[in-house]
Amino acid sequence: MTETLPSPYEAPEIYDLVLEPFRDDLPFWLEEARAAGGPVLEVACGTGRVLLHLLEHGVDADGLDLCPAMLERLAGKAQARGLEARVQRADMREFAAPRRYRRVFIAFNGFAHCETIADQLRCLRCCREHLEPGGAVVLHMSYPGMAYWLEPEGGRVLEMEVAHPVTGHPVRMYDTRQRDRAGQRQHSLTEVEELDAAGQVIRVHRFETSQRWVYRFELELLLRNAGFSRWQVLGGFDRRPLERDTDQLLAFGWRD
Amino acid sequence: MRAPETVADAGSPYLAPEFYDAVHASYRDDVDFYLRAAQAARGAVLEAACGTGRVLLPAHEAGVDIEGFDREPKMLEALKRKAADRGLTPRVYAADLREVSLSRRYALVTIPLRSFQHLLTTEDQLQALGRLRDHLEPGGTLLFNLFCPSWEFIQEHDGKPHPIRELLHPQTGLPVALYDTRRYDRVNQIVSIEREVVESDARGYAAQTQRHAFALRWTFRFEMELLLQAAGFERWQVSGGFDGRPFGNDSDEMVWTAWKA
Repeated sequence: MTETLPSPYEAPEIYDLVLEPFRDDLPFWLEEARAAGGPVLEVACGTGRVLLHLLEHGVDADGLDLCPAMLERLAGKAQARGLEARVQRADMREFAAPRRYRRVFIAFNGFAHCETIADQLRCLRCCREHLEPGGAVVLHMSYPGMAYWLEPEGGRVLEMEVAHPVTGHPVRMYDTRQRDRAGQRQHSLTEVEELDAAGQVIRVHRFETSQRWVYRFELELLLRNAGFSRWQVLGGFDRRPLERDTDQLLAFGWRD
Repeated sequence: MRAPETVADAGSPYLAPEFYDAVHASYRDDVDFYLRAAQAARGAVLEAACGTGRVLLPAHEAGVDIEGFDREPKMLEALKRKAADRGLTPRVYAADLREVSLSRRYALVTIPLRSFQHLLTTEDQLQALGRLRDHLEPGGTLLFNLFCPSWEFIQEHDGKPHPIRELLHPQTGLPVALYDTRRYDRVNQIVSIEREVVESDARGYAAQTQRHAFALRWTFRFEMELLLQAAGFERWQVSGGFDGRPFGNDSDEMVWTAWKA
């Protein structure tokens, strides 16, 4: 790949067009936030898909994100929904918030943007510092299972198809992935296609992103080495145990 | 003369040491590698899980100040018999990787032939790494290798018996065939191996089949780095083979070196 494409986070309206409709994880985060019994911080909150849902249900939640365009869109959406969102622009590896939290959330593969052990540990240590004693970091990552690694290289995968919120016409997101098994990394070319009523592609938006995957014991060791006192990994939003490599990774790290 | 050992009583492959040696006789890559490392060490060498002395005896014979330990007394007995046959008297100890405690400190500690993979939990792995690090002099080195299964290999082998070796029984001289059925628990990173050992009679018919079962844990690259970090090592490196090639997407072996500051 010779040209460098923009990150999807530089086009928040396109990002939302495709990903705003994803709601499968929202009940989990709301339940976690309500059970926390205190304030929540969402790290890498993006355009507020999760954060605004929490605020709408009365949770005392703050957010942070590295990308100003995403936060701007979040602010606009909050205003439109009559919500007051306290968010700041900050790096997940070195942020400073004025208060301490019962829970720190990193939803929707946000942690995959820490691409080295050093970055992963800086992020987790920083999350830990922002926890009250007894509090926990909770993060959701896709599990990089066998089927994922065995997908044919360079194939274009339809990730998501949704209806355009205004026109009702299809919007499709495709991912063309390069996988580095030893480095546990994925580089994606993401294409969002907007179709017309006749099914013709009328607009294409192209982005590039890279992510770093983690395995279960690796994630537990990251929590251990970042100073957490206890940890647990579950396999899905329904809190089932992690049993298969088609499950999700939901990791909890407690500060005692 | 002792009666020929049958594999009948062997739930573990380590309870029939002479048969174990026959099975591994053709595998030399790591012996030469660990032998060279032992000879290059600037001080005493400790071999963890030394078994029947596949590496330890040649190193001892080559004049290396090497000691070893293994948790399986039958393996150590076989080692001592082989040593006695060659007029050698190496110092070896019965000890578990997780609990070993010797008075001496070493310049090099090795764990050949993927023995580290017998440790099935993170806690066991960390306990063993901590014990081994304690046995290193400042500046000392831990050297070990692990297999690194490819997803293609897992997909092809999972749940299906595969022939792995045919050999002549070291004592009866009759043909023996080995089949492994591997079952992969992909989130717990454990492969359970059921080994069928089919012994033929003098006419070439399958006379009896014995089963061994054992489990091995595999560890991913960054996971291993975090284990070494958690165990207190200061520096480490990994290569993709005994020839020092870089570790990459096609590597099926990880050769780790870790240093105590």
